[in-house]
Amino acid sequence: MSAITTTPKPAGAAPLSEAGYRQVRAIGAAIIATGGLVLAAANGFSAGYLLGGLWLALLLWKPLHGILVSYSIVSIYPVLRVISIALRPTDALLSRSLDIIPPGANFNSFVELFQEEEFLRWIWNSMSITISVSVIGVAIAATGAYAFSRWRFPGRRPMLIFLLTTQMLPASMLLIPIFVIVAQLRLTNNLIGLVLAYTSTAVPFSIWILKGYYDTIPPDLEEAAMVDGCQRMEAFYRIILPLSTPALSIVFLFNFLAAWAEFIVAKVILQANTVMTWPIGLNELIGTFNTDWGKYAAGSVLVTIPVLLLFMWQSRYLISGLTLGSVKG
Amino acid sequence: MEFSGLSGEVILNTISQLGPLLIGIIVGIAVLEVGLYLLLARVIKTKHALPYTLLAPSILAIVVFMIYPLAFNVLLAFSDLKRTTFPCYSPVAVGECELDHLYGLDYGLENFTDVFFRVRDGEIVGWGRLLRTADSTFPVLLGRTALWTATNVFFHFTIGMALAVVMNTKLRFKGIYRALIVVPWAIPGVIVGLTWRQEFHAQYGFVNTLISALGGQPVSWLDDPVAAFVAVVFVNVWLGVPFYMVMLLGGMQSIPGDYYEAAEIDGATYWQRFNNITMPLLRPIIIPAITLDVIWTFNKLDIIFLITGGGPQESTNILVSALYNAAFGPAATQELGFAAAFSIVIFIILFAFALFWITTSGGLKEIYDR
Repeated sequence: MSAITTTPKPAGAAPLSEAGYRQVRAIGAAIIATGGLVLAAANGFSAGYLLGGLWLALLLWKPLHGILVSYSIVSIYPVLRVISIALRPTDALLSRSLDIIPPGANFNSFVELFQEEEFLRWIWNSMSITISVSVIGVAIAATGAYAFSRWRFPGRRPMLIFLLTTQMLPASMLLIPIFVIVAQLRLTNNLIGLVLAYTSTAVPFSIWILKGYYDTIPPDLEEAAMVDGCQRMEAFYRIILPLSTPALSIVFLFNFLAAWAEFIVAKVILQANTVMTWPIGLNELIGTFNTDWGKYAAGSVLVTIPVLLLFMWQSRYLISGLTLGSVKG
Repeated sequence: MEFSGLSGEVILNTISQLGPLLIGIIVGIAVLEVGLYLLLARVIKTKHALPYTLLAPSILAIVVFMIYPLAFNVLLAFSDLKRTTFPCYSPVAVGECELDHLYGLDYGLENFTDVFFRVRDGEIVGWGRLLRTADSTFPVLLGRTALWTATNVFFHFTIGMALAVVMNTKLRFKGIYRALIVVPWAIPGVIVGLTWRQEFHAQYGFVNTLISALGGQPVSWLDDPVAAFVAVVFVNVWLGVPFYMVMLLGGMQSIPGDYYEAAEIDGATYWQRFNNITMPLLRPIIIPAITLDVIWTFNKLDIIFLITGGGPQESTNILVSALYNAAFGPAATQELGFAAAFSIVIFIILFAFALFWITTSGGLKEIYDR
């Protein structure tokens, strides 16, 4: 680059250099932090002043970290609070404290959840429904998505657009007919009814995600195999399916996440206690503010931890998949 | 032996219900594929035999689980199905049937008119009252849905973009921030809804405790119409920001640094660089993300349903929550025929809007051009 295109900043415009600014900000931050400490000490070591002072100091000293720390707190505090409520002793459930580890923390709520409620049965029901839906979704979608990805055949485009349009259906538009159909088939209060209801949304979704994944596998691979004398289907089973194990497991996970926490459909279709899933069970615990609130919180923690771990572990794939079989390609 | 509601009998019972279903479906798929392939390739001899064979299970499943229910929904829109007439439509339900015909144009006309207008003695006397309460008329719900969608998408985008810009600088602990910010996305929706409902409780929730601790006036979040709307929007923004942050950050990281260096040498300010490099290059990500978000938010039922149930005084109802209440709410409002008609109207509105948006913005073009 020549010197002509470069317009140097006028040196006199800023009274301080960038390093100078940083120094001033650091000093200011130190003053604020000390002020917070003094105020906290004056008020009997109140955590509020101390944290407030530290927060302001951080915002001034490292503004970017300040913003990210603030938002992280907004995003995670409500979650930590559920854990805190689960740990509270029964007589302090309604305490208005904002502490995260409550005084006298114990695991009684967890014990009560298992002893007084049918928590394990809820989990068992949810688990068996979820696994069935995931298996059915993968089994149906695996070959169909491959066809969409590899061939240009008459009817392909309208079918893909139809699959996309299904994303726009209001939940109740499918729920109303499915409710009536399930009632006509006498499948209310039967796990099969809910499995069939979930399958209706799981299949289009699975096709989209799998198609997106197959698109990323170069067709040369099968062509090479076919040159070597493989049949097309043999190439699919020998090369593509093994290569897509990650995708199949992701689709499995997706259907799992969607069905695991489903509430609206389950509430309409399931009515008897024997087939209750955990979202319905927890919803019944939360009716009022009483001892059940501790049990609700304990249950929430238990059902969320596996999902959270799954999400963190697979987040890269989950996130690209959540944008409808990767919008970008 | 039974513990926490689970016993050997329960387990066997579940397996005997679901096992045959799973095996049946998998065997069915295999038989269908082999049979159809032989038919298409050997008997009809079409050159597309293989793709159609591979598609067959998907198409069959979509016809059975999607198209059939949707067609049935259209039929229901031309019926008088409600709680009291349920025995006519379902052989299982207990009770007498008092209808002389199940489906008819007269019912359909009445259902669709009821969505928009209130009719008395053949005269239109006002807007349709969707939940049989004075406040929820069609234009009110439509306007509130537009407001709900617009505010949510606006805050999702601006906060998500701000966080992505901050995260796209050289920073330490980036991985930790990312993991923490993504957390709301990973929490099951039903827990998000139920927990926030408790936290917005005027007396025991932490929101008011925090407001009082900072010296503010406590707000009765769930009893005041405006505050309740603010509360549900807040929760949904809290839920939606991670999606945008992750998407936009991913896009920003794929922009080559050379562009910025060249612009900087040419003397472009930070704002100019953002406006002329980042935004245009992010367009293929922003447009589909907003398109999807508009569709999702428009149809977002669970947060409103779990936190306010549409109340107080119908003040937080949007179209889809009013629809759910009309179909499955308190017994007096369970009018499934009317709700089926209402759901078709809602879908047409969203579809028309999406079509308009996609054709004008070119969003999702990448998806179905491939």
